This record gives sequence, C-alpha cells and structure tokens, in this order.
Amino acid sequence: MRGSGRRPYTSPHEVTDAWSAAADDRRCVRVAVDAMGGDHAPGEVVAGALRAAGPTLHVVLVGDEARLRPLLPGGVEHVSVVHAPDVIGYDEEPVAAVRRRPGSSIVVGLRLVHEGEADAFVSAGNTGAVVAGAVLHVHRIRGVLRPAICTIMPCMPAPIAFLDVGANAEVRPEHLRQFAVMGQAFAREVMGIAEPTVGLLSIGEEPTKGTPDVIEAHRLIAADPRVRFYGNIEGRDIMNRTVDVVVTDGFTGNVCLKTVEGTAKAILRALRETIGLSPLTKLGGLLLARDLRVVRDALDPEEFGGALLVGMRAPVVIAHGNSRARGIEQAVRMGRRGAVSDLLPSIGRELGADGGSV
Amino acid sequence: MTREEVFEQVKKILVETLSVDEEKVTMEARFQEDLETDSLDLVELVMTMEEKFGLKISDEEAAQIKTVGDAVDFVMARLGA
Repeated sequence: MRGSGRRPYTSPHEVTDAWSAAADDRRCVRVAVDAMGGDHAPGEVVAGALRAAGPTLHVVLVGDEARLRPLLPGGVEHVSVVHAPDVIGYDEEPVAAVRRRPGSSIVVGLRLVHEGEADAFVSAGNTGAVVAGAVLHVHRIRGVLRPAICTIMPCMPAPIAFLDVGANAEVRPEHLRQFAVMGQAFAREVMGIAEPTVGLLSIGEEPTKGTPDVIEAHRLIAADPRVRFYGNIEGRDIMNRTVDVVVTDGFTGNVCLKTVEGTAKAILRALRETIGLSPLTKLGGLLLARDLRVVRDALDPEEFGGALLVGMRAPVVIAHGNSRARGIEQAVRMGRRGAVSDLLPSIGRELGADGGSV
Repeated sequence: MTREEVFEQVKKILVETLSVDEEKVTMEARFQEDLETDSLDLVELVMTMEEKFGLKISDEEAAQIKTVGDAVDFVMARLGA
C-alpha cells in the first residue's frame, strides 16, 4: 500500500547529495565564506559553514576574528579564519562600498579567491556589493559580457535553473543569449541534467511576442547551435517545467523569483490553516504529514542554499540574506560543486571562442 | 612609454578583461556608446589601469574619461610623457 504513487517533487537532496557522491571527486576545495554577511551572521553562518566543512571542503571564514574564533569548537578541523575588520552594510551603494572598504569581509573574501588562497566564495551579504566585488576582483571569464545570478528553482517533478534573478536590471539581447549558454552549462554541471532545454521568458509563445530586445534575443538564441532552445515560454510555464532552464533579464527574474517564493509560502500557509480547522481536517493532516513535508522542503529556498553568479572566473555563491545554518551549508556545498564541475571551463570554451558576440 | 604603447595596453585591458571586440577599439571610440560598456565595466577598467600603470585615479578623474583617447591621454599626462 505504501509508496504506490510517484512523488510529485524531486527532493532537493537528490540534487545536492549528488554534489558529494562522485567517487572520483576527492579533491579538497577551499571555500571562503563571508562570515559577517546576512541577517543571522555570524552565528548561523559559522554553524552552516562548519556543517559543510570536511576532508574535501576546507572553509575559510572571513570576518572579525575576535567574534569568529569564540564560535569555533575546540580542535575543529577543515576550518580557518582570515581577519576582515570591516563590513559592507545592506543599504550601501555597492560599487562605492567595494571601492572604499577594502577591509570588508566581502572584498577580503573575494581577494582570497583572486590570489588563489581560496577556490570559491560564498556570501549572504549585500548582493549588489558581492556582484560588483566579484566583477572587480575575481573578474569575468573572457568573453562573458555580464554575469547573471542563476538560481535553482523548485519545480514539478524536478527543479529548474532560472537566471538572471538580479545581477543586471537592464540587458541587451546579446546578454540574454549568453545567459542561455551559461544557464544551460549550470543545469548540466551543477544540477546534473544531461541535456537541458532552454526557454526565453516572454509574454507569448510566438517569436514575435515580447519587447524588441526579447524578440531580438529570441532570434540570436535560436541561431546559436550550442543552445538546445525550446523557444519562448510564458510565466505560467515556469513551474510546469516546460524547460529545464529559464532565461530572462534581472528585473523580471527578481520579480518572478519573489513572486514564486511568496506564492509557495501563501499556499503552504493556507494548507496549514485548513489542516488546523477541525479534528477531521487535523486527522487528514496527520495522514498527509510526512509526504507534505517533502513538498514543503522542496519549496524551501534554504534547501538549495543560494544562487551562483555565473560567468565569473571562480564560483561566487550568493546566499539568501535570511539564510540560517542549513542555507549556508548548502550554499558552501554549491561553491564546491561549482569549483569541481566542468561549469567554468565549459563557459570559457563556449563564450571565449566567439569573443562574446555573434 | 610611447602613446602607441599606452594605447595597446588599454586595448589589451578592454579586450581581455571587458571582452570588448578588438576591432572596435580606436582612440575615438566612446566607452558607453561605441564599446557598450556600463558603469561597472568602467570602474573595472579604471582599477585595472591603476594596477597596470601604477597610478591612482580618483572618482572625479575617472568620470572625465569618456573615450579610449581620454584614457590614453590621462595615462600619458600622469606618466609625465
């Protein structure tokens, strides 16, 4: 009687567990973590980083040493601390902050990567500052015009890649074409999807639908032999998993992402309240509890940890500002995955060859 | 350093770091309109120029650099050539 139906959701663990499953992948990767960024820093950030640390993942905590060392258990292994006396606040203008605060945990962490002292960087701090800092200190892969923040979005029956969710408010068609190439590489290398299909978000299926830039982007992507292009998709197709990778500009992507997260929360809240209505509904809830928990976990942004800034010369992971330990742990593991997979070389091969434009 | 050498260095930064098309880089090329760079690209250019030429460029000075020629002239003036 049990397990007779197929779960509608792939558990996030199936994606992220694969990150540590590869038998031939015993390389130790050093992940620099901005220990001062995020609503729950440094406590939750350190806790999450410690959970990710191990023989194949060395964590370098970056921040105020005086506050970090007391948080580390005695004799802890695979963790080190690099002092950074300054912090970039959420409300600071990103480029100015990065320029004027070289001692901030974000800039110090990114410089560690630039200098080869770390292989990846993770931060739950000021996203704009992380993006600006990454461009200025880690640099874009040659050929990449604009980086994009690529997130793993929960979906039925399995998650999808979605970019750009906020690195660029305005983009040109050529940028969207590059996002298609990078998103496809992300879906393949980080998410393990063998032959990902790519859709361009628009207001209609026909290639003639959309803004002039989206119409031109459609033409460019369709003409690119490297992209397995499905065509345009509409908002409602995102969660129906019409494609594996959804491409859009940063403004639209950010609005979409937050709309999806908010809708999921609202539905789960409505479910909880309905279950609590009467003894009968509570009984129903009890019967559904274990399976609904899988759904809830699958919709939980913490489970995927964060989003990757694709196009940079090293993995830069942007964790949700309200990440707790679990979210940070997963973000750190995503950083490692970005470093050991073929993601960066793949982007370098595909976008470096044409110098960025068709 | 000669003017041509400075131009070649600036062109190299634009091509390798900002992925600008090499054939678009001329002395008259305007960063925003012709090379399609944005404000972050320009900050990256300025920072890379600081490293390459051993200079310090203030935000006010950087704001005056609108073309490749402006960048070359700025470096030449600073290097005292």
